[in-house]
Amino acid sequence: MSRTQKTLRYLVLLAFFLLLAGPLLWQLSLSFKGAGDDLYAQPPQVIPADPTTGNYTGVLDRLPVLLYVLNSGIVALLVVAGNIAGATLAGFALARLRFRFRCLVTGLFVVALLVPIESIIIAQFLLVRSTGLADTLLGVALPTCVAALNVLLMRNGFQVIPAELEEAARIDGAGVWRRFWHVCVPQVRGVMTVVAIFSFVGAWNDFLWPLIVLSSEENYTLTLGLNRLRGTFYSDPRLIAAGTIIALLPILAVFALLQRYFFRGLEAGGIKG
Amino acid sequence: MSFRKPARYVLPVVLALALGACGIGGGADDSETTVSGEVKGEITFQTWNLKGNYADYFNGLVTAFQNANPGTTVKWIDQPPEGYQDKLSADAAAGSLPDVVDIGPEAAFTLANAGMLLDLSKTDPEAKASYLPKAWDANAFPSLGGTYAYPWYLNTGPSFFNTAVLQKCGVSKDPLPATFDALFAAGQKMAATCKSDATMVGRLPAIETFGAYGVPLMDQAGTKFTFNDAKAVELVSHYRNLFQAGGMTEETLNKLQTGEVDAFKAGRVGWLPGSSYTLKDLKATAPKVAETVAISPQITNDKPNMYIESLAVNAKSKNVATAVAFAKFATNKENQLAFSKQAAIFPSAAGALDDPYFTTDDGTDEAKLRLESAKAVSEAVVYWPAAFSSKSVDYLREQIALAVLGKKDVQAALDEAVKYADASLPKK
Repeated sequence: MSRTQKTLRYLVLLAFFLLLAGPLLWQLSLSFKGAGDDLYAQPPQVIPADPTTGNYTGVLDRLPVLLYVLNSGIVALLVVAGNIAGATLAGFALARLRFRFRCLVTGLFVVALLVPIESIIIAQFLLVRSTGLADTLLGVALPTCVAALNVLLMRNGFQVIPAELEEAARIDGAGVWRRFWHVCVPQVRGVMTVVAIFSFVGAWNDFLWPLIVLSSEENYTLTLGLNRLRGTFYSDPRLIAAGTIIALLPILAVFALLQRYFFRGLEAGGIKG
Repeated sequence: MSFRKPARYVLPVVLALALGACGIGGGADDSETTVSGEVKGEITFQTWNLKGNYADYFNGLVTAFQNANPGTTVKWIDQPPEGYQDKLSADAAAGSLPDVVDIGPEAAFTLANAGMLLDLSKTDPEAKASYLPKAWDANAFPSLGGTYAYPWYLNTGPSFFNTAVLQKCGVSKDPLPATFDALFAAGQKMAATCKSDATMVGRLPAIETFGAYGVPLMDQAGTKFTFNDAKAVELVSHYRNLFQAGGMTEETLNKLQTGEVDAFKAGRVGWLPGSSYTLKDLKATAPKVAETVAISPQITNDKPNMYIESLAVNAKSKNVATAVAFAKFATNKENQLAFSKQAAIFPSAAGALDDPYFTTDDGTDEAKLRLESAKAVSEAVVYWPAAFSSKSVDYLREQIALAVLGKKDVQAALDEAVKYADASLPKK
């Protein structure tokens, strides 16, 4: 590769980095700006002129952030566990087992992807309420515990496993559970990681559904709690930025822990790119 | 944030469906005609994003009510700012609407139409005398035949001009534009000198702009919209001419109120129709603009515009008498006055604006702004018709944008917006 080519490549990479990470950097810089900073200065300043950590302590003073993090953590844990277990089992059934109406069932999962949450949210709330789960974290987690998209991802993951592998196990006398657990699941760990990350991020960032289910403040998830940082009549963008960064940290931590598997999973699943 | 920005996702249709399916719907006629029963028992009082700054005030209010009415318990809950209408819709559908709710006219209209709110014109017609007439009228919905909430706090605001921008673009700040004609003329002048670096106007007209321009928005019976008359065409044509002269950027065509405020803070817009807390906001986040800002009365051809929040009573409340008593207590003159001294808002209780707080100038910018706004509030009108849904708001903006871009005839665009808004009115 020639020198110019290399330079060009890095320039393109840098441009994309700025495009993707720019807004995040801006929030980060905003969250450290103090009262002396003109937030709307032209051209925009990235380095705070009056740096302070006061916005972070401001957020922590105003809100029981740890409680919200705990609640969000519980919801995310339930959703991730539900999706890993449920979607893996369902995906296996759809991909490797033969039963009547299998295509129909697969079709149903595809159709489920097309239904926008806004159109069913009230019916869903009535259902959750009638089971007595309104205003509980379980009620928040339950409807997304086995998401259709994840089932389809797992199905694709299982489908690419060569049939010979399973047949060999069958000849050796392995039953369905054994083939599932010892032969197929080890092949799809990457996809399971993808499912884990997707469902974690989804549960962590969801706003509308927890808003509708929860009414007591002690049950609030982080997205609901941080929404309070918006002032009644006008907002301080610095506080909101600090809240955003706080909410982002756990997602970064989860991603950092799982990223090794994540990229492997992206290649193994049906969603290359 | 705008005064109270309508929710992004609104679910009135779903609400209606859900109510129908569960059999808990029913017309407003079902509700009792008088409120009877003792003032005791527990009620829930829901506010919208007021806990952060005014928790002490509300805890005090609740305690005062409980002390005055032994045997009552008021449970105060506060909802986060985002998605408030969705929360109300879902709670209404599930039968878990709080007994007393903080509500804007638009959401009140939706819930009243579903039969969820107490019709005060039947249960408590005398209450009308305790509030500013225009505030009371904001929750009177002729198409539903009733009045559905006790007026609570109001807001309005003067015009803010960025004098540095005006000076740079050759517009005299003495006098500041005080009429729509002067405003558009100044906008043309700015377009000629500054091109699109800085413009006078940062947002397309909204429904309340039409009202302030003198356009009748709805017929008396509240059964059809009328903002497509010659006057309305004249207003949109002003914007169209301004845009074609370069006095508005393409970017502004899609802006909401928050976008307009941001552009003003960044010094790209000369005029901001503000509110009584705009000055505080500018001082906190854009101190440079705050230094050069000049304040003048709201631009209007008719009465000034204002916005309102009200307290509605759940028609299905188990302790209706207590809920009504609390709603009236929270909106009485003393309590409204106390609240408006803490927050930069204005009371809707009759006579509250005569308090020295709103009539005595102590020489500060804030007091001057407060006095001017209070004077405006006393004669202001809530132009935004409650029946004008947030979907219609978006549709109107899109139609105006097409007209301003020259892709559509102004009259045709307005006709279409009226047709759309009419179609979303409740069917008889």
